[in-house]
Amino acid sequence: MQLDNLNPEHMCSGHVGCPGCGAAIAMRFVLKALGDKTMMVIPACCWSIIAGSYPQSALKIPVLHTAFETGGAAASGVRAAQDIKGDTETTVVTWAGDGGTFDIGFQALSGAVERNENFIYFCYDNEAYMNTGVQRSSSTPYGAWTTTTPGQHWKKLRKKNIVEVLVAHRIPYAATASIAFPEDLMAKVEKAKSMTGSRFIHIFSSCPTGWGMPSEMSIKIARMAVQTTIFPLYEVEDGLRYTINYTPKGYLVNEYFRLQGRFKHLTEEDLDSIQEMVDEDWNLLLRKAGISLETS
Amino acid sequence: MATQQPLTNPSPLLIPCSYLTTEGNKTGSWRFLRPKYEEKTSPCSAACPAGEDIGRVEMLTAQGSFKEAWETILLENPFPGVCGRVCYHPCEQQCNRREFDEPVAIHILERFLADTASRYELKPSLQKLESKRQKIAVVGSGPSGLAAGYFLTLLGYQADVFEALPEPGGVLRWGIPLYRLPLSILNQEIAQIRELGVQIHCGKSISQELLRGGKSEYDAIFLGCGHSRSLPLKIPGEDLDGVKNGLQFLTKIRRGEVADLEGTAAVIGGGNTAVDTARSAARLGAKVILIYRRRRQDMPAFAEEVEMALEEGVELWELQAPVKIAAQDGDFVVTLRHMQVVEKNRQKRARIKPDSNKKKEIRVQHLFKAIGGEASEPWYDPPKKKRGMLRLSDCVLLHKSREPTLVYGGDLVADIKSVAHAVASGKQAAIALDILFNEGLDAVRPKLQTCLVGDGPSISLETYMSGPRSLRNHRVVRYHDLNTDYFQFAPMITQPRLLREERFQSFAEINLKIGASLAIREAERCFNCGLCNQCDNCQLFCPEIAVTRDNNPRGRHINYDYCKGCGLCVVECPRNAMILEEELLCDRS
Ligand SMILES: Cc1cc2nc3c(=O)[nH]c(=O)nc-3n(C[C@H](O)[C@H](O)[C@H](O)COP(=O)(O)OP(=O)(O)OC[C@H]3O[C@@H](n4cnc5c(N)ncnc54)[C@H](O)[C@@H]3O)c2cc1C
Ligand SMILES: Cc1ncc(C[n+]2csc(CCOP(=O)(O)OP(=O)(O)O)c2C)c(N)n1
Ligand code: SF4
Ligand code: SF4
Ligand code: SF4
Ligand SMILES: [Mg+2]
Repeated sequence: MQLDNLNPEHMCSGHVGCPGCGAAIAMRFVLKALGDKTMMVIPACCWSIIAGSYPQSALKIPVLHTAFETGGAAASGVRAAQDIKGDTETTVVTWAGDGGTFDIGFQALSGAVERNENFIYFCYDNEAYMNTGVQRSSSTPYGAWTTTTPGQHWKKLRKKNIVEVLVAHRIPYAATASIAFPEDLMAKVEKAKSMTGSRFIHIFSSCPTGWGMPSEMSIKIARMAVQTTIFPLYEVEDGLRYTINYTPKGYLVNEYFRLQGRFKHLTEEDLDSIQEMVDEDWNLLLRKAGISLETS
Repeated sequence: MATQQPLTNPSPLLIPCSYLTTEGNKTGSWRFLRPKYEEKTSPCSAACPAGEDIGRVEMLTAQGSFKEAWETILLENPFPGVCGRVCYHPCEQQCNRREFDEPVAIHILERFLADTASRYELKPSLQKLESKRQKIAVVGSGPSGLAAGYFLTLLGYQADVFEALPEPGGVLRWGIPLYRLPLSILNQEIAQIRELGVQIHCGKSISQELLRGGKSEYDAIFLGCGHSRSLPLKIPGEDLDGVKNGLQFLTKIRRGEVADLEGTAAVIGGGNTAVDTARSAARLGAKVILIYRRRRQDMPAFAEEVEMALEEGVELWELQAPVKIAAQDGDFVVTLRHMQVVEKNRQKRARIKPDSNKKKEIRVQHLFKAIGGEASEPWYDPPKKKRGMLRLSDCVLLHKSREPTLVYGGDLVADIKSVAHAVASGKQAAIALDILFNEGLDAVRPKLQTCLVGDGPSISLETYMSGPRSLRNHRVVRYHDLNTDYFQFAPMITQPRLLREERFQSFAEINLKIGASLAIREAERCFNCGLCNQCDNCQLFCPEIAVTRDNNPRGRHINYDYCKGCGLCVVECPRNAMILEEELLCDRS
């Protein structure tokens, strides 16, 4: 990997993330790119635990642990406090799970970005409420087993497209990123850091425990999600200018699903209809990127 | 109600604030699988008869460390300039990259490194072991004899090479034509062997007496006399005046003794000698027909050579067996019998039989016999069976208590007759003798086994001398062991060549040089199967920050205090330079 990976670490060993935790990898990359002039708000999620219980902290930056639904609001407050202190150098960020972003923290997030608060909101997405034992969220994808969509009642609703929701707020920067593409991820974090106003980065973070897959497959699965366009890598500036960062080479979704226990009940027909949905979403994204090409 | 405090002096927050890191948690105790750095064997190196460390050679080339790359070859093969040109490169056949797009052009890079070394007059720094008391005589200065001398010298022995002809090189000098192997390259690599300390005595034909001498000054004798006598066709007319012998024809060309050929020439045979005879005759002006008993795919000549011959206008007549040669007004009339395939065996050459009684005749002005060779003296061949005899993969060792030990090598014993096999033979002989002198005959086979490259039969001198390569696992890395997500499609470099028309104007080398930037780009295509190229993926993806760069030669280590054994580093290593093992209780302490 050709990457300036020499940036210092701002995260410590000895954290209590599961073996192969994608969210831990995501945090590591993001902090490498952000540097230590960062303050972080973490609403309830796996990372509330991974970061260590009092008096320990796995992060070498100031962290404010807050209530589940407050990611957007708490960060707005921290930013305001820093501004009052005259500290414009420090980057204020929120680090929340998909449950804390798509669902319960949604109104705080929407409110904050509508006000164009000057912060970066990171959502590390493991596609369910993992910390409390794998309950489905609106980020859980179509087809997935969770403890609240068990057996034949696997989730038959689509994953909410959170980036498009943020794009609709016309914020300066919204992007997807993946732990399997560290170069792209860190470049996006650096780009976001250099901007002002509300910035949103959605990071695909595999979860071996909740997805029923071997821990060593975390990166491989994350990469396949991008290759199959299940999770395309793209960014949108000012809610208008779309850039697709990775153009895949026609991988089919089957293998991605076959490798994960949470999808093992799916039949060939299910997978065919999922393939159709994925293709439809990808074509929609292409159209959006195309539209922005025409207008620019 | 309290008045508002100035911001510079806030009241203490009533929330707990962590003051320790998590590093006190030794989360490595969760681990039940243990990742480890373990380099393995690349399939190309196991397929190279000389066992060259190809994955590493390409890694160094990609880094621009041309001298180190060249020296890495020299540790296993003194002839990179020769082999980069004439070896049939079985390594590329086994290259894992073949399954991805196209193999790495290993031979082109090998040649590039040798040419670069020669261009900058580089001197290799090769370590010789401390000198030993034993002396070894080498009969024949073909590639097997020279390799034996070279490796014996590296192992600390005095080696005297005796050559009957006035100059050293064997078939490399007198057989393989200049358009494939320019003289300067051969001379250069032989000079290097001499500089290492190998004594080459030319014009000294050795008689069988040397083998018998009870009081011989030599402790061992390596016989690398080659197959220089042509086999007879066993058909009427083959000894007619003017019927020429292919190998002698090639030798004469190299001595500058052959004039142009007019008319049609027929060459009988299907090996390298036949193909080179045909191509040389074409360069001298003849229209050439190559006559072979079996089919093209059965020809023992290397496929690429056959292809080039056809490209140069040589006509190939397959399934035609000559049965009679007659002289007619200064020409030759050859009677050919049509053959047909009886049994197809994919591994071996097809069996054939006459196709009823179909025959035809062909009238030619020149006729060359080139159906292969044999030892020119019966004592060059190893005896059938004898006490103290050890048949190894590339040589035959005959140990006698009161007389010098004999080792038969090169073409005399080879199944596949090639330069790389001749080098392998010289190397195996040198190592086998070293083991014999140090530990006795019984140790030879088991000890050789420890320096196999992969499953063998090729062996590595570096491994034998306990160099870094000896730490590698012999397991051969296959395509499915790699994580190819990190590799991009890139076509193989194409060998620049003289135009077809230009080739006939002289015996100038056909294959042209490539530049350093192309070489680096080609070397970068190599996956470095089983070898760590410091890509740092293992460090990058570890969720535990348990992989740390350091100054040990490997460049990094795993901190088992924190490694949870997730296995990500092992899977994300693109080239399978790591393994994941079961955690043993004894490893814990
Ligand atoms: C025309 C031709 C083309 C070939 N092309 C290729 C090719 O493209 N690629 C490839 O890999 N292989 C090729 N080969 C095969 C390859 O050249 C041989 O396998 C290789 O040279 C064998 O090496 P050797 O050391 O066993 O014997 P040789 O190269 O035959 O050398 C034997 C030497 O021993 C000397 N000698 C013999 N008896 C005595 C004695 N009593 N005293 C002193 N000296 C003696 C001879 O004079 C000779 O110099 C080709 C062979 C031929 C004939
Ligand atoms: C208001 C409230 N409801 C429920 C919880 C319990 N709770 C803590 S973390 C969590 C799940 C978080 O899910 P997500 O945001 O996706 O993060 P993850 O744990 O998956 O990383 C829940 C339900 C809570 N802390 N607060
Ligand atoms: S990719 Fe490189 S190391 Fe692997 S088989 Fe091919 S040449 Fe050898
Ligand atoms: S990635 Fe880290 S934690 Fe996982 S096995 Fe490798 S060293 Fe251990
Ligand atoms: S991942 Fe890269 S640095 Fe780590 S062992 Fe493999 S090749 Fe070496
Ligand atoms: Mg979640």
